[in-house]
Amino acid sequence: MAKLKNIRNRIKSVKSIQKVTKAMKMVAAAKMRRAQEHMEEARPYANRLSNVINHLLPDVDRDLLELLDVREINRVGYVVVTSDRGMAGSFNANVLKVAQSEIDAIGKENVDVFCIGKKTRDYFKKRDYNIIESHTDFWNELNYSHAINIGAGVISHFTHKNVEEIHVVYNEFVNVAAQNVRSEVLLPLVFEAEKVQTVGRLFEPNKEDIIKSLIPRHLNIQMWKYLLESYASEHAARMLAMENATDNAQEMIKDLTLQFNKVRQAAITTEMLEIVSGAEALQN
Amino acid sequence: MISFQLEIVTPTKILDEGQVEYVRCPGLDGSFGVLAKHREAVFGLGVGEIKVTQNGKDHYLATSGGFAEVSKEKMELLLETYERAEEIDTSRAEAALQRAQERKEAKHIDAARNEVSFLRALNRLKVAKR
Repeated sequence: MAKLKNIRNRIKSVKSIQKVTKAMKMVAAAKMRRAQEHMEEARPYANRLSNVINHLLPDVDRDLLELLDVREINRVGYVVVTSDRGMAGSFNANVLKVAQSEIDAIGKENVDVFCIGKKTRDYFKKRDYNIIESHTDFWNELNYSHAINIGAGVISHFTHKNVEEIHVVYNEFVNVAAQNVRSEVLLPLVFEAEKVQTVGRLFEPNKEDIIKSLIPRHLNIQMWKYLLESYASEHAARMLAMENATDNAQEMIKDLTLQFNKVRQAAITTEMLEIVSGAEALQN
Repeated sequence: MISFQLEIVTPTKILDEGQVEYVRCPGLDGSFGVLAKHREAVFGLGVGEIKVTQNGKDHYLATSGGFAEVSKEKMELLLETYERAEEIDTSRAEAALQRAQERKEAKHIDAARNEVSFLRALNRLKVAKR
């Protein structure tokens, strides 16, 4: 009889886990949609900004722009973007694997790491990498000021000549079912200059100063894009993981219910057998 | 007064401000005003306040900069951050100001970066008092 109760308890607990995974899936879906909307909204600003920079760049002396400055590489900075929480399949592990193999190829001692998300921080702290800045616990109230903040740290590290290149490793959002780990060079910035007509327009105070103030802003919007891509990917991955968990729970409930019925039937049969054999004994 | 179309584009939204008569912006080397039929131009913008006159009424916005593009049809402001005077959270701005002031003493922190946050907080407080 004890076994019957055990099975019943297990069914109950699996059901309550299933409720949790279902709820998490819904939450992840809503958050993913929000990140996608943000990506849409950022596009006009990003396009116009890079348009203006592209317009101005041919007329400006590149040597004045330190963020475009290609120097001989001694040290490299890595910005690694992950989430604060797990429960998203291999989402964080994929990024960290790529980041670590790239960093180790350069040599751990020549790399400065910027950690975005708790998972990156914990991972690289434990392995004793050279961490410059960590940004955690902001994903829930993600807004543009975080991108500005992270961007400022990265820019100042680069302009102080601590590193000669900045790479970013993050999850790119392809669609709900697919996320791609990408590693890109963020600094020095690469702009393909195109010759466009700007005659008749006034530039105030002058082209150099405008472009100098706009390039860091371009970097911030770039950073914003990385954050949003990662955020959308995180929740897409979590959605999928939770969907699988819910399905698995369903499967388990089915198996356990079958087992429960079998045990119950066995118990009834034994009981009846006892009665019948008891009655038979009396007749004899 | 003749009016012209004003649009504000930020990383998180596009705002169509409609027809306005006058816009004053914080340029990189001093503020400037734009009226209707201004010549085509691109202005770099720094931290400061933007004044918009619409239907004879003045509105104030705080921004951390971006650029302004004036074309024949309209004026476009590309702003990295943007807050209307009445939306500014003064207690947050005050806290930021204080933080920046305290940090001025500290040596290990990036002075240029701190200066920018200091100016931004100061500007937000100024605009909020409008």
